[in-house]
Amino acid sequence: MKLILSTSNIMQGGRPPVIRQPTQKSNVELINALHSNFLASQHIELSNGTEVHVNGNGVSNNGTAKGYQSWTGEQDGALYIPEIDFSQPGLAEERSQYDITVKLFYLPGIPVSRRCAHTREAIDLVLKELHVDSIDLLIVSFPGLLFDADDDSDEEDAGATGESDDFDSMVQTWRVLESLHEQGMIGQLGVAEFGSERLARFLPHTKVKPSVDQINLKDCCVVPKSLILYAKQEQIQLLTHNDCNDILPVGTTRELLGPADKGVGILASAPDADDGIQGHIEPQWVVKYTAVVKDRGVVENKGYFALADVGSCVKPQK
Amino acid sequence: MGLLALGTALEWPEAKKKAHQVRQWGIEQLLANWRRAKGKERDALLWGDEVEYLVVALDDEAKKARLSLAQAEILKSLARDEALWQAGSGKDDSDGEHAGEEPPHFHPEFGRFMLEATPGQPWGIGFKDLLKVESNMKWRREVAKAHMAPNESPITLTTFPRLGTKDDYIQPYYPPSGPALRSQFVPDEIANPHIRFPTLAANIRSRRGRKVELNVPIFKDTNTPSPFKDPTVNYDLHLWPEDDDVRNGAAKDDHVYMDAMAFGMGSCCLQITFQAKNMTEGRKLYDQLSPLGPILLALTAATPIYKGFLVDTDVRWNQIGGAVDDRTPEELGEAPLKNDRWRIPKSRYASNSTYLSQDPRLRKEYFDPDLVIDEDIKKRLMDGGMDELLATHFAHLFIRDPLVIFSEDLEELDLNKVHQLATYAIQAPPSEKDDIGWRVEFRSMEIQITDFENAAFSIFIVLITRAILSFDLNFYIPIQRTTENMETAHARNAVLDEKFYFRKDPFSRRAPRPSAQPSPYGSTFSSATSSAVNTPPSSPPLSPVESEYELMTISDIINGCADGTFPGLIPLVESYLNSVNVDVETRCFLASYLDLIRKRADGTLWTGARWIREFVAKHPSYKHDSVVSEEICYDLVKAVEEVTNKEGRDGSLGWELLRGKKN
Repeated sequence: MKLILSTSNIMQGGRPPVIRQPTQKSNVELINALHSNFLASQHIELSNGTEVHVNGNGVSNNGTAKGYQSWTGEQDGALYIPEIDFSQPGLAEERSQYDITVKLFYLPGIPVSRRCAHTREAIDLVLKELHVDSIDLLIVSFPGLLFDADDDSDEEDAGATGESDDFDSMVQTWRVLESLHEQGMIGQLGVAEFGSERLARFLPHTKVKPSVDQINLKDCCVVPKSLILYAKQEQIQLLTHNDCNDILPVGTTRELLGPADKGVGILASAPDADDGIQGHIEPQWVVKYTAVVKDRGVVENKGYFALADVGSCVKPQK
Repeated sequence: MGLLALGTALEWPEAKKKAHQVRQWGIEQLLANWRRAKGKERDALLWGDEVEYLVVALDDEAKKARLSLAQAEILKSLARDEALWQAGSGKDDSDGEHAGEEPPHFHPEFGRFMLEATPGQPWGIGFKDLLKVESNMKWRREVAKAHMAPNESPITLTTFPRLGTKDDYIQPYYPPSGPALRSQFVPDEIANPHIRFPTLAANIRSRRGRKVELNVPIFKDTNTPSPFKDPTVNYDLHLWPEDDDVRNGAAKDDHVYMDAMAFGMGSCCLQITFQAKNMTEGRKLYDQLSPLGPILLALTAATPIYKGFLVDTDVRWNQIGGAVDDRTPEELGEAPLKNDRWRIPKSRYASNSTYLSQDPRLRKEYFDPDLVIDEDIKKRLMDGGMDELLATHFAHLFIRDPLVIFSEDLEELDLNKVHQLATYAIQAPPSEKDDIGWRVEFRSMEIQITDFENAAFSIFIVLITRAILSFDLNFYIPIQRTTENMETAHARNAVLDEKFYFRKDPFSRRAPRPSAQPSPYGSTFSSATSSAVNTPPSSPPLSPVESEYELMTISDIINGCADGTFPGLIPLVESYLNSVNVDVETRCFLASYLDLIRKRADGTLWTGARWIREFVAKHPSYKHDSVVSEEICYDLVKAVEEVTNKEGRDGSLGWELLRGKKN
């Protein structure tokens, strides 16, 4: 079974997913935003007249294994957490007023063969949510890539996941993006965490060149000169970000959805426990979308979708 | 603004008779303006900064620094070059770093020793524009300097340390006690000779029935006499009736006494103007920036000296208010109300007294319960279709008499000439220009010694407005707390030593999912009062207003509270920047600006005020008697020039302001 987790618009609505410490990464933003969106949706349903059992700890977990159905929605075999009403308008003004940037995180351990479908799935959701038929910039983040400003060797961070992306699979994935670009669905393409060497290796294999390389800089004034020069020469814009490399770990996902204090009582506490949906959980991808009003610099809509598979046919990751 | 008089300005007794008529005209024009502009939509963000300079002339042989009254000549020379630029034949900068930028604009100011410079065209939000601000400011300074005499320079101190002393602090020299200002410290020639300025000064004095009265507490050093009686005050002048002021106790013990508009309007500030998307956004920004005014005032503090004395306050603000305070004894509450209509608690130039936004978060408790308004004007405006909040705002502004009335204006009035003196102004688009939208001005910041600092604070404010709009932030506190914060910001070293009222949670209550309810707050609110009452039944009850805010340090407000209650303005800005596409180079620049502000707030870096105090204290000729002598003044001005040029690099002067370490 597919689970589609969403944050709704995290700019508005007054939760504090806003990063409190500048050093925190958007992994915290994503997890907090998902968590509070779940809670808020649960809350509204409950306050809308559903019978509520409240104990001393707030909302009771009794029976929430069924209760979640009131604020989630099943469509085409996917469970939307929370339910999304796609008939609501996405943006306040017409499409031409916005710069829409989407960043797609392919997650570690997920077979490259699924990326074509995943990319379509993710983009489609964003388009549907924002009621638009194209996005301006798609940045893809391959798992296991870490940009290191100190030396410009962007070696794969193989030790961390054991599942680093090989070069061929990146090129293969890029083909998918190029075809979406040709269809006019995506204005520009971008990569993340590429150093100059990797870029130089990558560019000859592309029909549509990346126009953006997004790098994570702890101290942004130490960008390797080689990268700055190379990017300038190839007309690739170097942008900054502070996203986390491992944006949605399995354990965190189970914690968010599980029955314990932190969870919202959808998943069982363990794959074979009977206090929720059973089976292993495997996050497949995460997508972040941002709609900025161009000539005013106002971020009007920002949010995340994440897709996870759950059930008996999902094999636990090693 | 031309330097030749463009009309016949009425003296106060005449102006007073016409005040009612002008007010009525003003109301009608306001209504017409508002009707035309209220629907103006979708303007881009444009913003501009205004940097004000003192023009100083250095006499290296005599070791004296004087104010130069050469404003008119400098502007004339600048205008000639600007005309050449426009014609495309001047020496512009097409090959240099300012290629493609319009040459800067220069404007006269109240003081004839002042100059104001703005960018040649407004800035946009494009991050590339943000990168140009600092270099453009430096360019402006170079251009200005190039049009001055070799020994003259534009410096960005808020006030000249020895303005109003007995020595020849101006060049050319004029003796004090002229007919317009009647000041025993400054001559009439200190003011821009445009008829508007002497008339404004004279009419304020005339309306008050005495000179303006500024008493700034003296900084008591070890050798300062106690009680301190301002030794520069002359009690034996008998030239003008107003010379009686000091004999009637105008000069207070333990204070530095000043008696003219020049002491307030002659100070330099860093002002930012924004164009909002529409009226709604303009009103929202006006409200949300209001609580930030005192915070930025304390953070930019740079005014520790008046009239040759170290004073016990760090900022210029109250002196501006006092310098244009036209209230009569009755309005001030010193005499029973007989002829005047009301008691007025603040000068016409003071912190905001109203909130304007039609925002469901604006609770009626935030308003000043004692706000003085003209009910007839409010009624007229509301009858004319204006909403209650805005009508209240203008009915408050219009309790003041118009001060400068040109007889020609009695046929056609320009509203902006009459009511220009509010703190954070909101301005409707001018009728003659269709390409200008609703504008909000942020005026509390003090000018900084270097353009790096001035750019940093300008850009910080711009980024805060973007964060406010993006996160829909809520900084509302009761408006009287902001007034109190304004006073608090004056204290010596308030930036580190004082606490300010600030809202604990800037985030709005989460609106229900759109599917659950069509409109989170209903759409029927029409004014603050009704919106506060119209809270939908499903919302939880609001907590008491007093629990929404608390006293915080500037560092808490800028960098965030350690306990996580208030996230901090810088983290909010960083969070905004993480949500938009920023290129590496820009982000580095912005990081250095934000770092300056972060460190000013936590005390790692000094404010200008502290640096100037330390400079005086360490000067070999300082006698610890609060006196800033001519020699110290000269050395200070030289030092300020060096800081402006070297920006504290490599342990040079001013590293405490800008770097935090010598190497």
